[in-house]
Order: sequence, then C-alpha cells, then structure tokens
Amino acid sequence: MAHIHLGEGSFPLWALAVWTALGVGLLSAVVYRLRTGGIETRQIALAGIGAAASFAIFQLNVPIWGGVHMNLTGLVGILAGPLLGTLIALVVNVFSAAMGHGAVGLLGANVLVNASEAIVAYYLFRALVGLDWDAFPAGAGAATVGLSVGAVVMGGIILVSGVNGSALPRADLAVAVAGLVGFNLGVALVEGVLTGFVVQFLASVRPDLVGIGASDADAESTGVTA
Amino acid sequence: MSLSSHVPDPRLVTAYAEHCDGPLHRVNPWTKLAVVGALVLAVTVVTELAVLAAVYASTLAVYGVAGLPYRRLAAWYTLPALFVVSVAGPLAFLEPGTPIAGAVATPVGGLSVTWAGATLFAELACRSLTVATFALTAAMTTRYADVAHLLGQLLPRPVDQVALLTYRFTFVMVETLEELLKAVVSRGGTLTEFWRERRVYARILGTTLLTAIERSERLVKSMEARGYDGDITVYGHVSRPPATELLAAAGCYAVVGGYVLLDTGVVA
Repeated sequence: MAHIHLGEGSFPLWALAVWTALGVGLLSAVVYRLRTGGIETRQIALAGIGAAASFAIFQLNVPIWGGVHMNLTGLVGILAGPLLGTLIALVVNVFSAAMGHGAVGLLGANVLVNASEAIVAYYLFRALVGLDWDAFPAGAGAATVGLSVGAVVMGGIILVSGVNGSALPRADLAVAVAGLVGFNLGVALVEGVLTGFVVQFLASVRPDLVGIGASDADAESTGVTA
Repeated sequence: MSLSSHVPDPRLVTAYAEHCDGPLHRVNPWTKLAVVGALVLAVTVVTELAVLAAVYASTLAVYGVAGLPYRRLAAWYTLPALFVVSVAGPLAFLEPGTPIAGAVATPVGGLSVTWAGATLFAELACRSLTVATFALTAAMTTRYADVAHLLGQLLPRPVDQVALLTYRFTFVMVETLEELLKAVVSRGGTLTEFWRERRVYARILGTTLLTAIERSERLVKSMEARGYDGDITVYGHVSRPPATELLAAAGCYAVVGGYVLLDTGVVA
C-alpha cells in the first residue's frame, strides 16, 4: 500500500484543499453508488472486518530491506471489489492517521492513491481470470499493476502539489520523487508476489471468495464480491 | 517473531485510554479533535522553523503532561521519521543554497547539504512529528466508547457503520494474527527471511483474511438476528465541550489566523 510519504504540513494549503475535495468527491460517488444500489448487511460486515484485517496486517513487519509494512490494498480490492475497496481504504487511512502513520490533512490524497490501487487490482484480476489465468499469476499481476499505479499516482500528487517551503524547481523535485516512486514499485512487486500466493491459498480453500471456479455474475453486476 | 514494535499497537493505545487518568483524559474528545484540526492548519501555514519547533515542543510537553510514555513514542516515530527522510533526505541535497560543508565529489557532480536543505528537512520533521504526536496523544487519552461516538457522528452512512465495525474488530484481528504467528514459531518457523518463507507468510495473511471473511459471514447472521436496519447503536455519548474548552480551541484557531495575517503582511 503506497502512501503519500510526506508528513503533515508538507503540502501547501491549496493542495490540501484540492486533494481533500477530490477525495471527498470520490467517496461521495462511492457512497451514492452503494446507497442507490441498496447496500446489504453482508457488504457492511465484510468491509468493516476487511478493513480491520488490513489494519491488523499492517502491524506485521515483513523482513525485506530492513522491514516493510503492508496493508494488502490490492488484495482487499480483489476480494471486496472497487466500491467496498475504496471505503476500506478510507477507514484504514483514518485509523492509520490516528496512530500517527499517514497524515490527517492528507487523508483525501491517500484515499485517492489507495482507491486507485484497489480499483485497478480488482478490474485487472477479473480480466485476467476471464482469460483463464491461474490464481497466482492473476493475483500477483493484478496486485503488482494496481500497486504500481498507486505509486505513480502518489508521485504525481507530490509533483503537482510541490513541497511546502521548498524552492526546488519541479524538474529537480521530480528526481527526488522518482526515487520514492522507484522504491514503492519495488515494494509493489514484493507485495504483488505475496498477494499472488495469498490468492492462490484462498483459491485452494475458498474458491468462491476469489471468483475462480465459481460464478461471478453477481459480482460483476454490483461491483462487490465476496 | 511478534508484531512490529514501531507501529502503535491499538490494544496498548486503548489500554492507555481506558485505564490511565491524566489531565487530557478529562478533556472533551470534541475539543481534542478541534485541536488536531488547528495543528494541521498550523503546520501547513507556518513558514518559520523556530515557530514550528516551538509548536512541536509544545505537543511533546502535552504528551508528557498526559502521562504517556516517551520511550514508546520514540519507537513509534520510526515510520513518520522514515516518511520525512524518504523525501526530505534527497531534498536536503537538491535544495539550492549555500553548502554547509564542502561538496563531496561524485560521478554526477558535487554533492552537498545546503543550509536551505537542512532547514527544509528540520521544518518537514517538525511539521510531521507535531501532528503525529498529538494524534497519538488524543488516541491514547480518549476512551473507546467516545471514539465510537465520534466516528458515528462524523462519518456519513454507511462509512460510519464500516468504521465502527473496523474499530470493534481491529483488536480481534490483531489477536488472530498474533496467534497465527505464535503457531508458526511453535512449529519451528522463524519468519526472518521473506523469500524462503514466502508461502508461510502467504498462509498467515491468507488465514487472517479468511478468518475475517468467515467472521463477517457469522456477524451478518447475528446482526440480522438482532434486527439490524443500517444503524449500529452506540451507547456512549459525548457531550458538548464546556465553555472554557471551546474558548481554548477557538483560541488555537485565532492564533493560527493571527500568524497568517502577520506573515502575509495583512496586519503590520
């Protein structure tokens, strides 16, 4: 799960307002779709406990490059679908900000980043499964691409916003941000492979959860799986 | 192998909120939330390092006055500090200005930290750690029922329902994950090398998610059996803040507004 790797106050006020407005706009659209589509109790329960699991998994230190933490946003998107995946991204970001990880003022920007990961991972996974890909390559590929898109969105948001107090021209800032995006792409690859193994494991015990070997017509009609 | 020590454990955070009784435990949760907002605004608009450092020092002092442990805070700073270093680190070298010491020759040219770069690094660190510290202070001094009430009041439906369930089940999922780790270790797993034990990691995470999904399926039945109609009843109630706290919160915003007026030259 990529994050805006800048702490609170790193963006100018106008950027904070713009990303917050865009984040609120995305969430409003998701809430509207869910309300008009008639959200079911099972969807609320799945999103609530799925977000709790994602938040709990973040506590685990994975021993790569000195230790990385993952929320498995791509996997959450694959399991919960784009609408619930976006809600889960918001809730996980709210709880993370309360724990000093992430930033309260950057909630809108972080939701945009994480929602893009979940949405891309979901649709790509569906497409790959539709092409008869096995669980591992479909899960790993979808999550890697989804997380990579999130990393690029994150870099784009920083570049557009600029850094509060920095006199650096955008071209030079791009150099610093490129390093950060590059690191996140590396993490995306690792998290993508891990997601592939998790999807493979879930497909072996509960294939209905990942829509492999089971009808997913309902999932496609509502945009919500599991 | 256990859970990370540099990510705040929500169980510990909640234990401080429930079982300690410092001065901030008695402050109204709405007031604390308002101060978080004022701090976010302050660290966004303040442009001078000295002022940012003073604001950060104040939040550190408040954390201590609340009776919260500094040693844990230092460990929890790992991720916010990593965030600062990951971008502000390169910026410290790239920022134009006077080098602090001589430049180090590299194949791509001279490399040096400028005064402007070092100042920017310190500013970003103060901005980031100020709000991270106060957010933790607020989380560790606000009781579970009060947090649930705030979530229910602030978020639109169905996001509030999702957030309330997340808050309730975070503790359960952390324990589930911890038990899975213990089980792996008791069977001889070390979990010290990711690639060698990638399938073990996948099973731990897969089982955590599977447990979550199956728990949600059971939860649906119990919610529907209790007549769930889209509203989880929250029994806690947070009253309006007293007048003194309202004034204090308004004062925080007034100070930030006053600073902006002075800084932009609107008021000489």
